[in-house]
Amino acid sequence: MLTVTMKVNGINSRHDVPDNTLLVSFLRETMGLTGTHVGCDTSQCGACNIHLNGESVKACSILAAQAEGAEVTTIEGIANGDTLHPMQQAFHENHGLQCGFCTPGMVMSAIELVEKNKNLSERDIREGLEGNICRCTGYHNIVKSVQAAAEKMGG
Amino acid sequence: MITLAEDGKFLAGGMTLIPTLKQRLANPDRLIDLSGCALTGIEDEGQSIRIGAMSRHVDVAESAIVQKSIPAVADLASHIGDRQVRNRGTIGGSLANNDPSACYPSALLALDGTVHTQRRSIASEDYLTGMFDTDLEEDEIVIAVSLPKPEKAAYMKFPNPASRYAMVGVFVAKFSDGVKVAVTGAGEDGVFRAGNLEAALNADFDSAAIADGVISSDGLMSDIHASAEYRAHLICEMTRRAVKACR
Amino acid sequence: MNLTDEITIPGQRDIVFSNLINPEILKQCIPGCEELIKTSETDFTAKVVLKIGPVKAKFSGNVTLDIQSAPAHLSLSGAGDGGLAGFAKGGADVELIEQGDDTLLRYSAKAETGGKIAQLGARLIESTAKKLSKTFFTNFEKIMTGDS
Repeated sequence: MLTVTMKVNGINSRHDVPDNTLLVSFLRETMGLTGTHVGCDTSQCGACNIHLNGESVKACSILAAQAEGAEVTTIEGIANGDTLHPMQQAFHENHGLQCGFCTPGMVMSAIELVEKNKNLSERDIREGLEGNICRCTGYHNIVKSVQAAAEKMGG
Repeated sequence: MITLAEDGKFLAGGMTLIPTLKQRLANPDRLIDLSGCALTGIEDEGQSIRIGAMSRHVDVAESAIVQKSIPAVADLASHIGDRQVRNRGTIGGSLANNDPSACYPSALLALDGTVHTQRRSIASEDYLTGMFDTDLEEDEIVIAVSLPKPEKAAYMKFPNPASRYAMVGVFVAKFSDGVKVAVTGAGEDGVFRAGNLEAALNADFDSAAIADGVISSDGLMSDIHASAEYRAHLICEMTRRAVKACR
Repeated sequence: MNLTDEITIPGQRDIVFSNLINPEILKQCIPGCEELIKTSETDFTAKVVLKIGPVKAKFSGNVTLDIQSAPAHLSLSGAGDGGLAGFAKGGADVELIEQGDDTLLRYSAKAETGGKIAQLGARLIESTAKKLSKTFFTNFEKIMTGDS
């Protein structure tokens, strides 16, 4: 067992977990934040994407111990009270999801993508989301959602 | 610490090691996280650039020094894996693993770079000893990599659409004393220099100088994604595209 | 997966053959071999650590030899269990041809893998098998020339 300390969605958290705990298990099982999904177990699908110190990463491919002292943001931490994050709102308005399983990872990837690049072409968005797999194959509306959100986020 | 871990593993970005551990394909008794070892930073050293081993792919891709001195390396780094992999994976980890389909080993070999460890500096030809093999000792870590600046260079890859690994990747570097071409993703024993392509390009640095069939399929990988013959074809085509893209 | 190759080993055929079925020598030649025990005239059990890139899996298995047409021909078959990593089974036919003081070894091997190793390592299995057999024969050659 080891003790890990990190700031999750703005709240300082400290827990004892087995050494081999993945960050995604820490978030889902220890913290109860089940919005971050586990899709593939082979580090390819991106359903578990979260922000670690402001950058999108696969929570399934990082040990909780590697996030010691970090700031973590999950899908639960991006809305402002009852007001959805512009990216969430855009997915809602543009039907950017079908079954919804990949959506948390898509939203977290897309937020970082837009924050880092102000002028995104459709191609940039498709390339930027290459680490996120949607098995409903609903990519078209996801791209439209990101374009819409980028405008609102000052892109 | 290092000697304590009899069956330990060094952990860099973890983009290969952690998925391997998750599948229980390795069971080290200790992991030594190198992220706190101050092995980052990219410096311009005149004739070459020096990249700290724990520099992530995103750091290399966005580095003003790399973009200016060897834009081909910045471009290579910006297309490794996906964004989330580039936010974690490191140049040192990639070179220590020497995956036969990884991108970085081709840059190291074509630029004839030098790998620095905590006890010595190793030339690329001596460092890359075959698929998943390097000259590193069990307790030796990469601390930095020096890459000489070419006149011009380019990297072109044909990625596997699922894994993003190079099915074939070709790094072409033109120096004042000749052209070097390194191929990744295709060789059965990992990255290799393509002497035939170098000879053709030394005679005439033009994409038209690469004739089909100049690369033999002997010694190339065959798998469900591509036959050795197809890979041989891709090597020629990726080389032509790299020569056209050289800057 | 099929693997065919040939290699010239310095040494007369009888000696090459007897070394090729000698557990002490085999143990030194097989990459990652931790244990090789002869359980009968033609049966062995083995423990081998397969280390390739980040993967490190321990296989335990058995090998059966067919030495009826010794020393011109040798065939072997075996299976190994790597626990969670998966399993491997296969066989090989080895022909030993006299060439003066040397022996030409011509072999064709067949192998199947299953489990996670096969699932995740598909792109690497053939290269790995070639690499391992190359290492084996390099080691064997060193022993034959007394170079080890």
